[in-house]
Amino acid sequence: MINWMQTLALIELSITCGVVIVWFIHLTINKFLPMAMRWILVLILANVFFWPMGLSLELPLVGYVRGVTGDLSVVLTLLLWSAVMLPSRPVPVGFRVALICIALMFYPLALGLGMFDPYVWGYGSLGFLIGVVLFALVCGLLGWTKGVWIFAIAIIAWAGHWHESANLWDYVLDPLLAFWALITCIRILFIRRRNKAQSGYLFRPG
Amino acid sequence: MSRVIAFCFLLLAAVIGVLHLDTRPAWAPFADSLAAVVEEAVEEELPLPASSPKQAATKPFNKLLAKPIIESSIAKPHATWLPDTDAPSVHAASLIALKDGGIRAFWFAGSREGARDVVINSAVFDSRSSLWTAPTVVINRVDAEKGLARYIAKLGNPVPSRMSDGRLQLFFVTVSIGGWAGSSISTIISDDEGLTWSQPQRLISSPLLNISTLVKSPALTFSDGRLGLPAYHEWIGRFGEFLRVDAAQVIDKRRMSSGRGAIQPVIFTNSPQDAAAYFRQTRKAGLPKIIPASLTSDAGQTWQVSQDLAIANPNAAIAGLTLKNGIRLLALNNIEVGRARLVLLMRLPQSDQWQIVQTLEDDEALPNDQRKEFSYPYLMSGDGQDVHLAYTWDRKKIRHVHYSSAWLKREYQQLSAPTQAPDANTKEGQP
Repeated sequence: MINWMQTLALIELSITCGVVIVWFIHLTINKFLPMAMRWILVLILANVFFWPMGLSLELPLVGYVRGVTGDLSVVLTLLLWSAVMLPSRPVPVGFRVALICIALMFYPLALGLGMFDPYVWGYGSLGFLIGVVLFALVCGLLGWTKGVWIFAIAIIAWAGHWHESANLWDYVLDPLLAFWALITCIRILFIRRRNKAQSGYLFRPG
Repeated sequence: MSRVIAFCFLLLAAVIGVLHLDTRPAWAPFADSLAAVVEEAVEEELPLPASSPKQAATKPFNKLLAKPIIESSIAKPHATWLPDTDAPSVHAASLIALKDGGIRAFWFAGSREGARDVVINSAVFDSRSSLWTAPTVVINRVDAEKGLARYIAKLGNPVPSRMSDGRLQLFFVTVSIGGWAGSSISTIISDDEGLTWSQPQRLISSPLLNISTLVKSPALTFSDGRLGLPAYHEWIGRFGEFLRVDAAQVIDKRRMSSGRGAIQPVIFTNSPQDAAAYFRQTRKAGLPKIIPASLTSDAGQTWQVSQDLAIANPNAAIAGLTLKNGIRLLALNNIEVGRARLVLLMRLPQSDQWQIVQTLEDDEALPNDQRKEFSYPYLMSGDGQDVHLAYTWDRKKIRHVHYSSAWLKREYQQLSAPTQAPDANTKEGQP
């Protein structure tokens, strides 16, 4: 049971490592690779991360990544995979902003600010589960259907104990997801301001 | 249409989630209740007329005081060393009683604290011969990282526990990156009293990459058989946490303190619902260097920070133990700076006053560069009446001291006598 869980977690993270590298290639060359090439690249990279490399390494490469990151949330994992491996629309800005707001409130409290710890809700709070379901529902009502699927799978993963954690928070949020939301929001803001400035230049009366 | 299918799938996920919540065990009272043990003992040995609850609480102490101890029959505390592993640095010893009456010790050893060659060692103390077996390696860094399927940089702080099904469980700290602030707790389980161990498993207890949770003090048992593990954070915040553990999984946790001033909680249960926790203080300069405390009245579901225990603490670990007869003990460094003095304290009956019953080590009179470190005490009882103490001796050895039941009772009688022993903050104790 445990070995199965560890192997599954390593496969999941190996694929994520491959996806992240393909994503960085996108960012570097500023151009999307053909879908088939992305799949082949991810497949190769995931295998490179998953299998022991020998040499002087005690673990496969993914073991070193997991030592730092632990198991990533299901929401981050599926967002990454779907963004790179499937044709998809950008993640709505509203979702990213909501994520930042939740993370800014959640992490200071969960890391020891005061006696109130919202992380406890993730172990067995019906109210928190309803909150996550409502959040997914709102994503769907605002037109982001993929978000509904992602949160639904995250809840099932938590109930099925796919990862080591028994806490629902660990399936729907992690610091890397919050960091990604923050960075991309700043980038979107920057691009919008730049476009606005350029459009003002173009239409400025001569 | 795709949105409708997605909503249906979300509904299915919600139902599965609710069903999963329904299987989660409810919070349970403490099983390690002093009151229950005390009342049973009094009924068996000292039948008395009906009395008020307050009087009933004093019965075990009266029983202790009623029987004079014959001095010649009292064995003095017996000190030994845990077996040498040839490692230059050893630290963080802990103890647990075995089913055959022996005592198994765990500690970590290596070239220095936090080095990559640190391993967790174990040895067994035979109470009849008063000898330790040769040390064995329970787990090393490479085995830990292969079992946990992730990189591990160092190991530390082993804490044993007894599971409800009788198996032995060892919690220990692992770090993948950074210092001790980057710690996580892992666990291994033994079916044969510590001869062989299972693959390690990771406890998830923190939302930030699961870093910064450590363990030092022994676990309590809940009435449903699950363990309550006192843990602590040591990164942005320094505070205590109470983990509810089911085998190798954290199924709930509660905060015991907040801020940056209290770690390494030690818990004394008073009843199935009430308990007090004492901490190692990590306060900044200018704040009192005494022991922080927290209380719970709902079996650890909520904790309130309470008045400090007025015993000096130099940012060093403390150990606590309650015996079956109600005697409570603390082992700690009762100084504000350094770890050059280590004492054993006993609580006075019906009081929050603690008094020194033995000064185990004292280098306070020596110049600073000649003082040794005596730290990380761990208290444990084999049969609920005697006491075993282990502590780090100058980071080079682990000292073990065994106190007999008779010696403890005599000390208790002397404390209760009109001429009082020195209090916890005075230097001289009874050697």
